[in-house]
Amino acid sequence: MSLFAHGPLTRFKAQYDPNNQEFSISGSVRPQTIEELAPSLALLKDSIDRVRGILYVNVKRLAQMNNTAFHAFARVIIDACRVRPDLKFVIITSSVVGWTTRKFGRLSHVEPTITVEQYDSAFYPGQSFLEEGGFIPILRTQTNMTWRHERAILPRHGMRSGITMADICCGIGDFAVLVQKEFQPSRIVALDHSKSSLAYARQIAADFDIRGIEYTYGDAAAMLLEDDQFDLVTCRHSLQIFNRPELILKELYRICKPGGRVYITNEKISHCLGEPRSETIQWTYNELSKLFAHFEMDLELGPKNRRCLVEAGFEDIRGESFMVTNLDGDPQEFADVVQSWEDTFAGEMAQQRGDRPEFIKRFRRGFQDHIFAALHPKGYAGWPIWVASGRKPL
Amino acid sequence: MPRNVTSQNNVIETSFCKMIEFDIEFNSFISEWRHCAYISNYLARTVSHNRPDSVLYSNLYSSAFNELLEVAFRTRHPAGVLACRVSRDGETDRIELTFPCTPEEQQFYEYAISQTQGAGAQERYLVSLSGDVAPSRDMVLLELAVDYNATLRLEAVDADTVTLVVDLPFGGLAN
Ligand SMILES: C[S@@+](CC[C@H](N)C(=O)[O-])C[C@H]1O[C@@H](n2cnc3c(N)ncnc32)[C@H](O)[C@@H]1O
Repeated sequence: MSLFAHGPLTRFKAQYDPNNQEFSISGSVRPQTIEELAPSLALLKDSIDRVRGILYVNVKRLAQMNNTAFHAFARVIIDACRVRPDLKFVIITSSVVGWTTRKFGRLSHVEPTITVEQYDSAFYPGQSFLEEGGFIPILRTQTNMTWRHERAILPRHGMRSGITMADICCGIGDFAVLVQKEFQPSRIVALDHSKSSLAYARQIAADFDIRGIEYTYGDAAAMLLEDDQFDLVTCRHSLQIFNRPELILKELYRICKPGGRVYITNEKISHCLGEPRSETIQWTYNELSKLFAHFEMDLELGPKNRRCLVEAGFEDIRGESFMVTNLDGDPQEFADVVQSWEDTFAGEMAQQRGDRPEFIKRFRRGFQDHIFAALHPKGYAGWPIWVASGRKPL
Repeated sequence: MPRNVTSQNNVIETSFCKMIEFDIEFNSFISEWRHCAYISNYLARTVSHNRPDSVLYSNLYSSAFNELLEVAFRTRHPAGVLACRVSRDGETDRIELTFPCTPEEQQFYEYAISQTQGAGAQERYLVSLSGDVAPSRDMVLLELAVDYNATLRLEAVDADTVTLVVDLPFGGLAN
């Protein structure tokens, strides 16, 4: 069961999911009087009557709630604790919304059967491999390599000077910096959920005196950014790492202006190639695709870009692909990137899956052969990327 | 809506730099509840863009500011002006909200603000949270102190206006 309350400013949604015994409330709740909340409060009471054991109260996507509303909901929960000592309440907050954990946290001091959990990591199964630390320098080289192509591609997908844009899952933010220099949008919001990447991005911006990029911490699946704000929303190499990319696309769609465009890039990793030694290379990248699939990530997403955009409601879909190769620039860059892939994917990630040493040895071999091809005076090594964008209907 | 908005970096009496100042007829302010949210969201966005994490900051700032505006709204004074000045000193953002109120209400605010100070504030907040009465304006102020680490102070301008001075210390905040 779910309830919507709509107005220009109090836009929220309350719903109860009996399968998960979860009551959730999201949006902005700033009523003048408690009466305005009556249907939602009734829904909460009703949920309490139905559950046994634990009621989860999900406020992860609650952007705003004034005190009038907070106390009304708190009252219902506190009262329920008193008449139903058998019941536990678990309130789930998000680190992305600054005030919720602290505010709801007070309730556990009032009633010990109320606990508050801050939902933070584990957005997608493979997250820990990619989010923290080690991957940073390599993301930088990767972006330099893709930029050679994308700078020419982007204007065909709505990039131009003066626009407002957002780069969601921005990583260390270097794409935003390159865009800023080349196209001078009037505003860039760059959002990611990795604190270390954002810290790095802010440091770079400070060191190089780059202004006008708003680095923002957030969850791409539930952003605090308002609706209909950006002329162009980019999300690069990232939909492919979520087990439910459609949830992210829905958010990209939401924050995009009607008539604006959403631009995505993804890989089809099994199509990485090289000569000589094409067969071992091919084998390894096929296996790499399976390894990611094991962690519920679809590194074959690239050619499905179009389908994703159509299903998310976009129109005027444009798509193209390009191949990053060892001939684009310094072949050593290409080799460095492949080396770091080997380190992470044949290292920690394969280990975590429980792969045997013989497999890992063969797996590593393909990466080494790809490097060999990249550095070979007559060799060729490629990494293909699929680009697509769609327009949000007016 | 705001009758006059100025945005400049004058150094005022302290090291706080003025960012925005506006005033609005109190009558027109209280004609619509939504004005609280409009003003708080708009100002929050405006003052947050140069904070390390503008979106997170703006969300927090808007939450706190909206509560203050709702407090002023609920005085429901039929005349006068609501004046607001927003300034910044490093990590701290200051909101000064001046609005009409009766002498009795001034006393009420004095008392409410004294309750936000000192070690007992958190205890008092929890007591009021678990109590049965609907939240009142003093509780809103207490909550700003307890949950937002705000420092509150009162300046009585004259017999029928009051200024709430609220310092919000979340400038360094970034994830
Ligand atoms: C493969 S990287 C791509 C980074 C960047 N776009 C690039 O092309 O270099 C994926 C990024 O998504 C970020 N990410 C993962 N989960 C996220 C979430 N729930 N919300 C926002 N960003 C997330 C990661 O921190 C990481 O920086």
